[in-house]
Amino acid sequence: MIRRLLLPATFIVAIGVVLALLAARDDGYDWKLPAAYPVPAVPSDNPMSDVKVAIGRRLFYDTRLSLNDSTACATCHVQSRAFTDGRPRSVGATGEVHPRGAMSLVNSAYASRLTWANTLLDKLEDQALTPIFGDNPVEMGMAGRDGDIVDLLSSDPFYAENLGKAFPRDEDPASVLNAVRAIAAFVRSIVSFDSPYDRYLRGDPDAISVSAQRGMDLFFSERLECFHCHGGFNFTDSSTHESATVDSVGYHNNGLYNIGGEGDYPSDNTGLYDMTGLASDMGRFKAPSLRNIAVTAPYMHDGTLATLDDVIDHYVRGGRAITDGPYAGDGRHNPYKSTFVRGFELSDVERGDLRAFLESLTDARALNDARWSNPW
Amino acid sequence: MIGRRTVLAFLLLGTAGCAPEQLELSVSFAPVYGSEPLACGAETDAGRLTDLRFYVSDVRLFDGERAVELQLVADDRWQAPYVALIDLEDGTGACQNGTPGTNDTLTGRVPAGDYRGISIVLGVPFEPNHADPLSAMPPLDDSAMHWHWRSGYKFLRAGFETDTRNHWLHLGSAGCEGRVQAITHCRFPNRVTVTLQDYVPGDTLAVDLATLFDAFAAAPDPTASCSSGPAEASCPEPFAMLGIDHASGSRDERQRLVRLAE
Repeated sequence: MIRRLLLPATFIVAIGVVLALLAARDDGYDWKLPAAYPVPAVPSDNPMSDVKVAIGRRLFYDTRLSLNDSTACATCHVQSRAFTDGRPRSVGATGEVHPRGAMSLVNSAYASRLTWANTLLDKLEDQALTPIFGDNPVEMGMAGRDGDIVDLLSSDPFYAENLGKAFPRDEDPASVLNAVRAIAAFVRSIVSFDSPYDRYLRGDPDAISVSAQRGMDLFFSERLECFHCHGGFNFTDSSTHESATVDSVGYHNNGLYNIGGEGDYPSDNTGLYDMTGLASDMGRFKAPSLRNIAVTAPYMHDGTLATLDDVIDHYVRGGRAITDGPYAGDGRHNPYKSTFVRGFELSDVERGDLRAFLESLTDARALNDARWSNPW
Repeated sequence: MIGRRTVLAFLLLGTAGCAPEQLELSVSFAPVYGSEPLACGAETDAGRLTDLRFYVSDVRLFDGERAVELQLVADDRWQAPYVALIDLEDGTGACQNGTPGTNDTLTGRVPAGDYRGISIVLGVPFEPNHADPLSAMPPLDDSAMHWHWRSGYKFLRAGFETDTRNHWLHLGSAGCEGRVQAITHCRFPNRVTVTLQDYVPGDTLAVDLATLFDAFAAAPDPTASCSSGPAEASCPEPFAMLGIDHASGSRDERQRLVRLAE
């Protein structure tokens, strides 16, 4: 492109300035987003780069990040399931069962808060520490084993070589901090808007069926109310992006439980209440993104609804009735339930339409893109 | 930030010509179960230690008139100027989730004086408690002592088991508001103030796990544990042993975990 360098020194300085500006504005990284979709917000101390994402990808799939070399991030976040694991509740490296199921990572770059119920976590860098180091329950079980992670980063030729490129200002780039930054950058890179629904929105009238189009109208209707919590470009009210001006975040009790008629949820899974102890937070969980929802069964934070039809039944009824056992109670009457979960009539044809619409949110590219596959 | 400022203040104090004579003082801790000494890998009549680590800060000595702050001496492992980690487990025996390194003593400097009585906070001060743990200096760089999803450190990890029961307590601030690394307030700070009026320099402090585990043993669940959640059913009794009212988060000085060794 440039055949002659008449003033090489000036040119190099100019390149340096441009690169610095690019790095600072973070727009040197190609998100490969379709036009008119927002760019994710990126923490100023962890700008995106291809080499960092490449390191993060290998770490994401590296079982050596667990205490017994059994479990990687990818163990519970499987690409073909939109980075969920198909289990009601995820299982850690030592066999301990987590109270909740693994959430999809597709477009988690746009999540204004992370996990099912935690108002404090808004950055993937911070969230990544819990599965790696948490000991209640044990997920990857690396608490107190920071030195093992540093040894891995220093001894693996790929990590050792590339960490210096990804973090050129660090004297000692083989750090847990940089590993976590790289994993977060990789997860942040998993952004995709290529479902049939997206192509329909972009002007292809045949991208989704007529049935799915009717289902879309139902989804966005005041009768069904789905969109109040699962609205916006990422189908969740807890979304943000680079240019967002409002801190949008929502937690809702959807009437999944009502133990003893007092509004209670199972004690190991009380939602925000676990964090705050405030009665009004009982059973409040984040409305997850519905993108790729057809491939992320089972549903709800504890995986207790097996199919999309079970989920539709739940909302048609306006809450789940559990008739016997320790969790007996009618969720429809949970005193802390969201006012948007009121129940509605739904014909068989409408049910099929709604399901067709939800299935049109499956993004085959996200489930197959080689950029996010196992590099090992 | 606070760390750097405190270091600076300490250096200035140390070099000021008019500073009073400084006394170096160490305070040692010993794990016990009632009257029996405890150690990882050692079977006692009551059972086995599984974990015992805690942060201490804001150490003050009483000279009859005033409470004088003990300036912790920073090292590169166990003590920063404003917090020290006491680690009474060595990773052996039933403490298999622990670490080999141990530290049973905090060391600091006070102006020479005639002291009787000590107060110690079990906990990490607010600002470093909610800073980035991956950028933290020792002893706040220990991932086993951090609570990433709650934001902040486990001020105390204590565990004890018998052949039929296994109980543990993780103490730390809860009900925090704001965002990670931008926490504004915690409704349940859960810092414990240990005040021992009869302490004289040289005394050893006993950390008596019987207090916590007798409290847990009242629960029907043989594996009841408490991780400081404001809604956790098995926390009120052990919290009472720490002088904290679990429901309100308010504290007094009636903790029973730490006392003078006999």
